[in-house]
Amino acid sequence: MRPINMRREGVNVTQAKDVARDPSLGRQFSIQTDVVIVGSGAGGAVMAYELAKAGRKVLVLESGRYWPSAEFTENLGDTLTKVYRDQAAQANTTTDVLFLEGNCVGGSTVIGACVMQRPGDEVFQKWSDELGLKGLGPRELDKYFEQVEGWLHVHTNEAHEVNTTAHKVIQGCERMGFSWRPVQRNVKNCALTGHCLAGCPSDRKMSALVTHLPWAAAYGARIFSDTEVSRVLMRGGRATGVEAVIRDPDTGTVVSNVRVDAQVVVLAAGAIHTPLILQRSQAPDRGGNIGRNMAVQPFTQVLATFKEDLYGFQGALVGVEVDEFLKSDGFTFYSALAEPEQLMATGEQEAGDEHINFMKSFKRMAGLNAFAIDKGEGQVIWEGDHLNGRKVIKWSPSREDFERITRATSIAARIFFSAGAERVWLPTFQKMHADSVFDLDEKLARVDYGINGIYSYRMNSFTPHGTCRMGLDPYESVVSADGEVHGVSGLYVADASIFPTPVSSTPQWTVQVLSRYVADRILARAPSHFLS
Amino acid sequence: MTTKQQADAAVAPLASLSRRKLLKTALWASAGTALVVAGGFAWLRRSPVDELPAPDGLKQLSASEYHLFRRAIEVLLPTDGTLLTPVAQIPVIANIDHLMGLVEPAIREELGIALGLFDNAAVFSGLHGKRFVDLDDEAALRYFDVWSAGNTLQRTLATVVKKFVYVSYWRDPATWPPIRFDGAVSDRWGIPSLGNSPLPDESVEVTA
Ligand SMILES: Cc1cc2nc3c(=O)[nH]c(=O)nc-3n(C[C@H](O)[C@H](O)[C@H](O)COP(=O)(O)OP(=O)(O)OC[C@H]3O[C@@H](n4cnc5c(N)ncnc54)[C@H](O)[C@@H]3O)c2cc1C
Repeated sequence: MRPINMRREGVNVTQAKDVARDPSLGRQFSIQTDVVIVGSGAGGAVMAYELAKAGRKVLVLESGRYWPSAEFTENLGDTLTKVYRDQAAQANTTTDVLFLEGNCVGGSTVIGACVMQRPGDEVFQKWSDELGLKGLGPRELDKYFEQVEGWLHVHTNEAHEVNTTAHKVIQGCERMGFSWRPVQRNVKNCALTGHCLAGCPSDRKMSALVTHLPWAAAYGARIFSDTEVSRVLMRGGRATGVEAVIRDPDTGTVVSNVRVDAQVVVLAAGAIHTPLILQRSQAPDRGGNIGRNMAVQPFTQVLATFKEDLYGFQGALVGVEVDEFLKSDGFTFYSALAEPEQLMATGEQEAGDEHINFMKSFKRMAGLNAFAIDKGEGQVIWEGDHLNGRKVIKWSPSREDFERITRATSIAARIFFSAGAERVWLPTFQKMHADSVFDLDEKLARVDYGINGIYSYRMNSFTPHGTCRMGLDPYESVVSADGEVHGVSGLYVADASIFPTPVSSTPQWTVQVLSRYVADRILARAPSHFLS
Repeated sequence: MTTKQQADAAVAPLASLSRRKLLKTALWASAGTALVVAGGFAWLRRSPVDELPAPDGLKQLSASEYHLFRRAIEVLLPTDGTLLTPVAQIPVIANIDHLMGLVEPAIREELGIALGLFDNAAVFSGLHGKRFVDLDDEAALRYFDVWSAGNTLQRTLATVVKKFVYVSYWRDPATWPPIRFDGAVSDRWGIPSLGNSPLPDESVEVTA
């Protein structure tokens, strides 16, 4: 039995500065390992833990920095710059939709809003029965969901975790007769600071930074930060490793080029970057599916001003969800109010005295955020050669998405008016608010779909998925039922990319479950992958 | 602290226009036929502020851009006599100057043209007969409002100017107390760190 020692705080991470200081490594070096995992977020961290615990030699390569929790400042602007990919300006080609994503050790779990939602059984029934992915049936995945639930302290918000913003939503729903419930979150003894999107300095959020990564490290996994994988190496239909570049995160200068020789490669770089790595690597793609079928779950925020002071930005960030429309319309609402700086990004903020009044009413505001299901018609493409090319993200709302978002906006506004809102701020690029429910429909009718819905509603995506979807048919999907890339032995994907179809639930829990499932498939096939 | 993210976010709408190679032509068209017909004349309309120097220390803003933002700040953030932190106490122009330095060079060039257009189009747009920098408060505010509800290009430009100004003001924690936003609290509240979560008890092993 190996002795298992785990640090009480922080994770052992080899950073660019450590590599620069180590004379034995130099500007070019190689590493041998059993498994190399690309990305340390929800999917990568679970994979690292499971394989390291099973006795495999595991190396995790993460493009972002290592931020120990003690360095989180609870300042969103600061965090967006340091911890989010492309300083939170990763956008589609028309730059009206931002794709937010963590770029740090722990990935997006570090900056997540902590909502843990398990999709309804019908989703898994479809994956298993209609798509033939037998291992993904609801009963088959039950145990995995329960395990994540226990390990990550997933619990239903208690009364003290439901803040005033959420209470306004509850009040509105009760009047309208809409179903609502407290959300489930992965937090241990929440300190109720409301700063989830800026990381949790007191380690209460059960992100990968304080769970699967230190656990994996305790079992011997090595983690490199500041290390961007450029491509997967393949020979004779088999993955043999990856090439990566280690950069100084402050200056961007290259510290070293590294080649990793591995028997198994697992991509867990998230739904945007995993397909880009596969494209840069010229992985086989019979049906042209790599990077396609991206579901974005367009997110819009409706703000409301009430008569009384709410301080709706205090307390747990997300309190309740409105689940009334999940099945009928494919959207869910979550209560949450952003910080002042984020308000500047999410809406038209008036001008002059009206702006002053708008901001003075911040303490009287509440926010309701709609996440809608979309058809999975987005795409990510790598243009150019593997070192100097660029990523292109294509997604604009279809007319159907546009109509759905209009309906979601209208419902969110009605919930707030029912709770007594004096004014509702509509999430449009045009300057627009409504002062009563009678005013609302006329205002919304003015929002024009225009050209491909661009610059209509202000939308962001926090939860893209499906860009390397799982399926049995290599012409219709990217990875097999085991999570292995069709046609490349030993190359697996274990992140949000492999969702076989779009889902309307928040994805983190499912990503972790799917990663655990793929880990088991890799271990089940160990004799064909590993020499020892 | 000023950031590249905010710079990118502020010019994001503009970036899309440039990428679609629409900017130069469409910007002019958006200002209306009158401007197209008398474009050269409008561009040359002089303003008394043209004679005024920009303060020392600006690295990115040209003198005319400085004057435009200075006027936009006065119009967009009339904090005098309100409970808000006086705009004069926040280095808004310095923050805008810094953000400008973070904008991609190609977009920065387009941005210069766009800001020039925003200023000059006021001569004809709404028949003000004056550049934006010379409009009185009421007319300048109306100019923002009309453009905020205008066509895509007008909305884009109004949004870009507003975002630069508002982000450069509101990101400063000194602006938060009057709106009662708490900012960072964990240290103040003495919240202890829980550290890493203990290794799971795997006596109940999950099997596929
Ligand atoms: C602000 C925010 C809030 C969210 N809130 C919630 C929520 O409340 N509930 C929920 O369920 N979901 C939430 N999500 C979504 C959720 O976090 C993601 O769905 C989930 O983390 C996806 O897991 P992943 O492993 O696919 O990707 P990630 O967790 O994003 O991890 C991918 C990692 O790969 C790294 N990487 C990328 N490219 C490379 C490369 N070339 N080389 C090396 N490393 C690379 C990235 O830096 C990143 O660390 C939120 C997301 C964001 C951005």
